[in-house]
Amino acid sequence: MYWGGNPAECHPRHFTKYALMPKSKFLPRGRKDRTAVLVDIRPTKSAKAADIFLQVRPGKDFELITILRALIKDQKVSEEAVAETGITLEQCTDLIERMKKAKFGCVFFGMGLSMTRGKHMNSAALLTLAAEMNAFTKFVAMPMRGHGNVTGADVIMRWQTGYPFGITFNRGYPRYNPGEFSTVDVLVRGDADAAFIIGADPGATMPQPAIDHLARIPTIVLDPHVTHTSNLAKVHITTAPAGIAAPGTAYRMDEIPLPLKPALKSPYPTDEEVVRRIKQAIVKKPFWMPEGAQMTAAQV
Amino acid sequence: MTLTVVNNATCTFCGCVCDDIELHADETRILKAKKACVLGTAWFLNHTVERKYPDALIDGKEATLDEAIEAAATHLHAADMPLVYGMSNTTCEAQRECVALADLLGGLLDSHTSL
Amino acid sequence: MLRITGGKVYDPANGIDGEVRDLFVSEGKFVASAEEGRTIDATGMIVFPGGVDVHTHVAGGAINFARAMTPEDHRRTQAFIRSQSRRSGIGGMAPTTFATGYLYAGMGWTTVNEAAVPVLSARHTHEELSDIPIVDKSTLTLMANNEIMLDLMEKGEYERAKNVVAWYIWAAKSYGVKAVNPGGVAAWKWGKDAKQLTSPIEGFTRLTPGDIISQLARICHELGLPHPLHLHCNNLGAPGNISTTLDTLNHLDGHRAHIAHSQYHAYGGDDWDEMRSETAQLAEYFNTHPNVTTDAGAVLFGDTVTITADGPWQHLLYKLTGRKWGNLDVENETGCGIVPYTYRPSNLVNAIQWSVGLELLLLIKNPWQVFLSTDHPNGGCFWRYPEIIQLLMCADFRTECLKKLPDKIKERITLPELTREYTLYEIATSMSAGPARALGLHHKGNLGLGCDADIVIYEEDKDVARMFGHPRYVIKGGEVVIEEGDIRATPDGHEYISRPHYAPDTDEFLRPLFEDCYTMQFENYPVEMERIEKPAIHDCVPNS
Repeated sequence: MYWGGNPAECHPRHFTKYALMPKSKFLPRGRKDRTAVLVDIRPTKSAKAADIFLQVRPGKDFELITILRALIKDQKVSEEAVAETGITLEQCTDLIERMKKAKFGCVFFGMGLSMTRGKHMNSAALLTLAAEMNAFTKFVAMPMRGHGNVTGADVIMRWQTGYPFGITFNRGYPRYNPGEFSTVDVLVRGDADAAFIIGADPGATMPQPAIDHLARIPTIVLDPHVTHTSNLAKVHITTAPAGIAAPGTAYRMDEIPLPLKPALKSPYPTDEEVVRRIKQAIVKKPFWMPEGAQMTAAQV
Repeated sequence: MTLTVVNNATCTFCGCVCDDIELHADETRILKAKKACVLGTAWFLNHTVERKYPDALIDGKEATLDEAIEAAATHLHAADMPLVYGMSNTTCEAQRECVALADLLGGLLDSHTSL
Repeated sequence: MLRITGGKVYDPANGIDGEVRDLFVSEGKFVASAEEGRTIDATGMIVFPGGVDVHTHVAGGAINFARAMTPEDHRRTQAFIRSQSRRSGIGGMAPTTFATGYLYAGMGWTTVNEAAVPVLSARHTHEELSDIPIVDKSTLTLMANNEIMLDLMEKGEYERAKNVVAWYIWAAKSYGVKAVNPGGVAAWKWGKDAKQLTSPIEGFTRLTPGDIISQLARICHELGLPHPLHLHCNNLGAPGNISTTLDTLNHLDGHRAHIAHSQYHAYGGDDWDEMRSETAQLAEYFNTHPNVTTDAGAVLFGDTVTITADGPWQHLLYKLTGRKWGNLDVENETGCGIVPYTYRPSNLVNAIQWSVGLELLLLIKNPWQVFLSTDHPNGGCFWRYPEIIQLLMCADFRTECLKKLPDKIKERITLPELTREYTLYEIATSMSAGPARALGLHHKGNLGLGCDADIVIYEEDKDVARMFGHPRYVIKGGEVVIEEGDIRATPDGHEYISRPHYAPDTDEFLRPLFEDCYTMQFENYPVEMERIEKPAIHDCVPNS
């Protein structure tokens, strides 16, 4: 099942290389041995690849998931509640029957679910549905991550700080609070007084008040191109593109690390080298926390 | 012009991170990305190693790498609440350095995930 | 160079039991004498070899998933504040990498064995290990649910299977073989488990968990791996599982093995209401089979997060507790489940588990066979080991603790009858010399000439937990890393890797099987040696 995602256009090989087509020991006929369902607010190109397309009314994902959760436990659901989702009760019960009959079910969910009305509540509801399906058969769910190596950033922040994003070190150790320490919020409030931007172009994608603040403060950009953010930055440094002219590692969306094999030699340094050199230059300057302050902080 | 072929190369355009790409390259650009999808092909063929951009810019003016590194370090060190943000289109090795940088600065650290 | 003078030395590997001796260190090793360098006056203090954890989960996809699942714990737990030279970190149930090194070293442990690594994500595990400072490390590769392996075993292709195990170990740059719930994790892909050692596994026609156990134990022996098969038995945590555990041991056919976290495998009774301790039976097996070792997997009351490749068990735990549940399926290799958990003294099952761990440590007579562990973080966090040491050394303290447990427990356990108290010599054996020997790390847990100078120095204290929780000095590879409660240095540790022999055609044999079922390219699969920080390679000599 794909929910709120359009792999045909955003992850073009997801069907063919990973999820729908491969033949295997237990699915020797490949695609024919699988049932594919797409839930989305409109029939995207991915709908053509699905056996069943369910067009949910925009903003009604949470309601639909909750109805499915009720139905798998044989609870009664009012017709009006079902009608509001844009899906019929027959479609819902048919889906539930198929899910329960599956040998191994997997839901891939995209930003059409996690970034629309309900946001992380939608993701939580879908993950709960998948967990509860295990009372009947094996069922799992995972997000369809975009943006190349965003998964690597997640994984590394977790092992080095305990948290996946939205972190501050301003007490000398990591703390986490999305909404408080997440970038858009920090910039819109005007909290940050310098910004170091790497592998991203917020100047092209963020809300205008956040971009305005980046232009007000000293912003430093590392990128293979001079980007929108570079144009409003104090400092831009050109670096070698990852995986094309810079070696290293990237994590796939299922958190499997893969080696990068650059085909080109760049005249520019790698991100890794530049960040390390900036770090080394900062280490030469006085440490921000006064000597002895660590004891005080620990006692507090 | 020498032509090189890289087998089992990894594409970092989308979260699939397919690692079965066959890249054909000359010294400045990738000419062919076999097995890559339409997005991956565009990603690989779009980059060249021509010096399209200056090494660095400070206030929009060309600068050397050393000057830019020192300027970056000075601004980040002077800040009370510096932010380290992004980290999608880069390597894990650079990401580890970025976390270390935020830790060193006592700053904020965030990725695309928070959007 | 370093001299440590006047301390009471406990060095079980050399039969030294509390004698006052001087130790000399040069270039990270023990030497006969040293003229220069710092002298630590250890007069009146107790000197141990650095601790060795034979079974822990500190790096890789599973613990990293647990970190993501428990931000509420990070916020309330111990924080390690950044210094100019030292990274910050978070302790607690699932510590960050840097904090893991600080916490282990802080209580005198200097070597850790990460006990469950899928080959597919071994690259990730090694990246994390390189961010765990101070301690030396090794990893075990998960082998008992790998579909390629299971197919070979079902077809009876033993020699091929042996070559493939060796190939996988080298591909993962790991140290040995781990078997978790043999066949049960493969069955979990179908939402099933493997509870009977003699019944065919879901998805297979003939192959049974018992076959996997017999063949892997023999393979580990014949490859000449320094550590024997490291075995997590089927039916973990289930009432009445003692019969499965004893049956498993019989399937070893006389081969050496290490039984992981045996606390979880020594229960009687038919259901949760009837559950009781069956440690006497299991201890009797160890007491009559000196070639088999185990670690306790002891339980301590309090909050933790459970992490195991035993996917079906974790689904059951999720249903029992209604708490958060994370499930990871690792393609055709293995899987993993994560559930936060609180052990409560008022809960009869938890109280029995607490007792069972201690009973095994006390009933297995030879401390060279039973090692200190909590199966971190499953039974409790590793940084709570000093509490277990106190329970082992102080029978009166155990009696006090027993008073807090439900009355009904009395007929379910034998702990109240056990009066044994561990000596310092036995503690040094169980926390260091024993696990080092079981791992085949002969230069560890040993204060003899030429061995690694990993030393922990305690100030004698009647409060045993305080004494073991706060060593006066910890020395790693001859360098003072902990002194008077402060972290003084954070050197990088070594990683131990085994190189077993396999037939040269194994690559070509495996390639088509691999291409049939993996999502990644064969060439990109093995972990490159350059990625390992300070590798120490053990070349295996095959046994016939």
